[in-house]
Amino acid sequence: MERGELLTSLKDIVGEENVLSSEMDLALYGYDASLERGKPDVVVLPGSTEDVSKVVKLAYRAKIPVIGRGSGTNLSGGTVPVKGGIVVHFSHMNRIIEIDIPNRTVTVEPGVITLDLQNTILKKGLQYAPDPASQKVSTLGGNFGENSGGPHCLKYGVTTNHVLGAEVVLFDGTVVWLGGKSPDQASYDITGLLVGSEGTLAIATKIMLKIIPTPEAVKTMLAIYDSIEDAGNTVSAIIAEGIVPATLEMMDNLVLKAVEDSVHAGYPMDAAAVLIIELDGMADGMERQAGKILEICKRHRVRDVRLAKSDAERAELWAGRKGAFGAVARLRPSYLVCDGTVPRTKLPEVLGKVIQIAKKYDLPIGNVFHAGDGNLHPLILFDERNKEELARVHKAATEILQICADVGGTISGEHGIGTEKLKEMSFIFSESDMHFMRDIKSAFDPVGIWNPGKVIPQRQAANA
Amino acid sequence: MGKIERLTGDLASAIGRERVKTDSDITDRHAVGGLAPSVVAFPKDIKQVKEIVNLAVRDGVSIVPWGSGTKQCMGDLPSRVELVISTEKMNHMLDVDVANLTITVESGVKFRDIQARLATQEDRCYLPLDELGKETDDIICSERTRSGCFLPLDPPFGDKATIGGIIAANSSGPRKLLYGLPRDMVLGVRFVTPKGEIVGAGGKTVKNVSGYDVSKLMIGSFGTLGIICEMTLRLLPLPERMETMILGFASLSEAARFADALLRTKLIPAAVEIMNAGAVDAVCAKAGISAKGATCNVAVAMEGFDEAVGRMKKEMAAMGERFGATARAELDEGGHNPFWLSFGNLRVMDKEKSNDILSVRLSYPISEWEKIYAICDETLASEGLKHTMVCHAGSGVTAIDIMPDGKDRHDLLIQIIASLREGCEAKGGQLTVECAPSQARKSITTFGRPGAVSVIMERLKKAIDPSGIMNPGRFFSLTQQ
Repeated sequence: MERGELLTSLKDIVGEENVLSSEMDLALYGYDASLERGKPDVVVLPGSTEDVSKVVKLAYRAKIPVIGRGSGTNLSGGTVPVKGGIVVHFSHMNRIIEIDIPNRTVTVEPGVITLDLQNTILKKGLQYAPDPASQKVSTLGGNFGENSGGPHCLKYGVTTNHVLGAEVVLFDGTVVWLGGKSPDQASYDITGLLVGSEGTLAIATKIMLKIIPTPEAVKTMLAIYDSIEDAGNTVSAIIAEGIVPATLEMMDNLVLKAVEDSVHAGYPMDAAAVLIIELDGMADGMERQAGKILEICKRHRVRDVRLAKSDAERAELWAGRKGAFGAVARLRPSYLVCDGTVPRTKLPEVLGKVIQIAKKYDLPIGNVFHAGDGNLHPLILFDERNKEELARVHKAATEILQICADVGGTISGEHGIGTEKLKEMSFIFSESDMHFMRDIKSAFDPVGIWNPGKVIPQRQAANA
Repeated sequence: MGKIERLTGDLASAIGRERVKTDSDITDRHAVGGLAPSVVAFPKDIKQVKEIVNLAVRDGVSIVPWGSGTKQCMGDLPSRVELVISTEKMNHMLDVDVANLTITVESGVKFRDIQARLATQEDRCYLPLDELGKETDDIICSERTRSGCFLPLDPPFGDKATIGGIIAANSSGPRKLLYGLPRDMVLGVRFVTPKGEIVGAGGKTVKNVSGYDVSKLMIGSFGTLGIICEMTLRLLPLPERMETMILGFASLSEAARFADALLRTKLIPAAVEIMNAGAVDAVCAKAGISAKGATCNVAVAMEGFDEAVGRMKKEMAAMGERFGATARAELDEGGHNPFWLSFGNLRVMDKEKSNDILSVRLSYPISEWEKIYAICDETLASEGLKHTMVCHAGSGVTAIDIMPDGKDRHDLLIQIIASLREGCEAKGGQLTVECAPSQARKSITTFGRPGAVSVIMERLKKAIDPSGIMNPGRFFSLTQQ
């Protein structure tokens, strides 16, 4: 299809003001929070499911790629239009459609900001459990596509554990509802398959999420360590003691210093590592659990454990953690975050190796991560303009992911594969595993319009 | 030589003669809805499953995967039953990693053996250990990990079902209220596809977004997309204290007011189960508990820290009085475990009472539970049909066993299904027929209308199982060949 014809057809569907095609616009929609860059042919801002359906139908007939996009906070290149095409930006579809308290569900459009939903339902004594660090900006559509995690996922599970259903547009523009308010129906779990598929199978236009009552009591602690290994061992020890906290987060010295400089959360600048440990649930027994945790920390040579005495103090502890990526980003022009995830008991070993890699490639690496579920986030700091340094960064990142895979972990815990980790897919998947994923892809995307070039690497040539 | 003889011979050379059975006593035991297979294969591991499937693909022979057979009456009748692959010999626990709270097992491992293996120092277990100990034939669980962990599932047929069957049927019980569904427990699977390839997905970490979440697709697919051979499951620390309280009420509306009020408190019960008198009596009798069912009963499982369970008991007892409970039974751990195991076996007990049992499962938005319960209760009572009924309040599921008395009631049963299904679908729900007399089964659809999603289910089935050999016709009659 001619570009002019494409633009005219799209304008007919969503209105002239909702089609962006200037060079400036295309550049703005060509990147996300990863290092990947691309350029779309055009950007559309649909206002309804019907709009999306019509756009997809058009794209299907003309075989043009379609890439869904929320706020572009994606960390693996999932929203970058590497093969051009139509970016469907959901900024206009940002309504909370229904809050159904008796059924404990909310239905939202994909463009709703994660934290906006949270703030709305918190007023009703309910919460949406997943809390990605980017929740101030990220959209629920993006969370759906990426199966986002967050600190509280240790106890509550990731996005997929909280998605009950979705209205989706299929490759030919057909609109279907998957799942719904009945939480446990007989069917293939198509919703479960779509969550985390990075927009490569379909596009969601409404999402139904589970909401839960807020806990009666919350206790937040900051444990300060002089050795990163002691902090790591504390994590396993707490779980081994039969306690599953709501969160178990770790930050190392590099990150602590950066955070203190920018957020002033009151963290000790000279500590080797800190843990943020949060318990929630019924108040009964929590005091005793906190006592047990304190003992475990002491057993692992903790320097000090501070307890948040008020909501304000608790918010301050969290502000530091949630602002960590931003704070670290001030240290060098660019950073790359690895998302390797390992069985919890392997944390101290893997952290040690990450430090060695930092030395080997002469790169500063900070660690701020979800320790409780073994989800590392080594932040490699560098200057993108220095090509030689960039090459070292990529080598270091691949090596870190290889280490994670080798100890029985995986290459992405919550950020996705996108384009960034395509080449590392073979660390954990065999050719037959990927063949099965391609079969799934073919069922959802017979002509290849959905976010091409993501998640599944191209098939290897037969005798390559 | 016929197709089946040739296949049998080739199977024997591939996996060993002793693993391939054609004797009629064995094939009859593996019949589905009266259709007996020609061959039953007993592979020892995933590699042998792959070899079997490859031979079946070559010959276009249909496959029915089989665990303990407890749920073979569920689903539509397969259009062909030629080869059954039993997971009976795939009963190894491959990795018990207590420190990481995961367990990796083969699909033929029995659910109860997993719990027994995880039993703690004091022999505390998530199932009543003494009862399980009586069956000593093939129990691997004599080896105890003393882990202090458990697998947070409580599916029906908990003493017989294999973990593979539980996952393939997405089978869950009352305590999903606290712990979630199988989809929340399965971290990874390895299976053999209908094309004969070994495929793995997921792993040992709770967080994992590498590639598609293929495990989710396999859970609840009733063996129509492949044979699940190995899986990694999430464990939790065994609760410090586990107790149950059963409150009796004179009417559904009183029980409902209590249950709904309970679910609005900050208390965190593991299960809030509404049970009719017949269900309470059957479950208690089997579990050796003296409680007697009132018209409507609420059984609440409490599992957690000592102090939290203590407070729940206290507050619930007070609430019970306030809402007019006429009876209250309290079960400590020694009663709690047998009660819930026996609860999972309710259908087995009901089956013993009637050959013509009709079992249905209704799922619906959670707020509709009282209306659904009332519709079912009234419909069945007006026909004078004996039945047990249990409802997971807070989880949106009601299960009913109807036990007709001898006489030919098939027409009535078919009519009742239609009427209950209409009532349930009107509330946005789904009625699934889980067990029916063979004569009635032919006139009833198992799942009702699959809705718009069937378009994509059909496309998936075709892409994954192009020759249509894996449990054909079983699930929403997909790919009936």
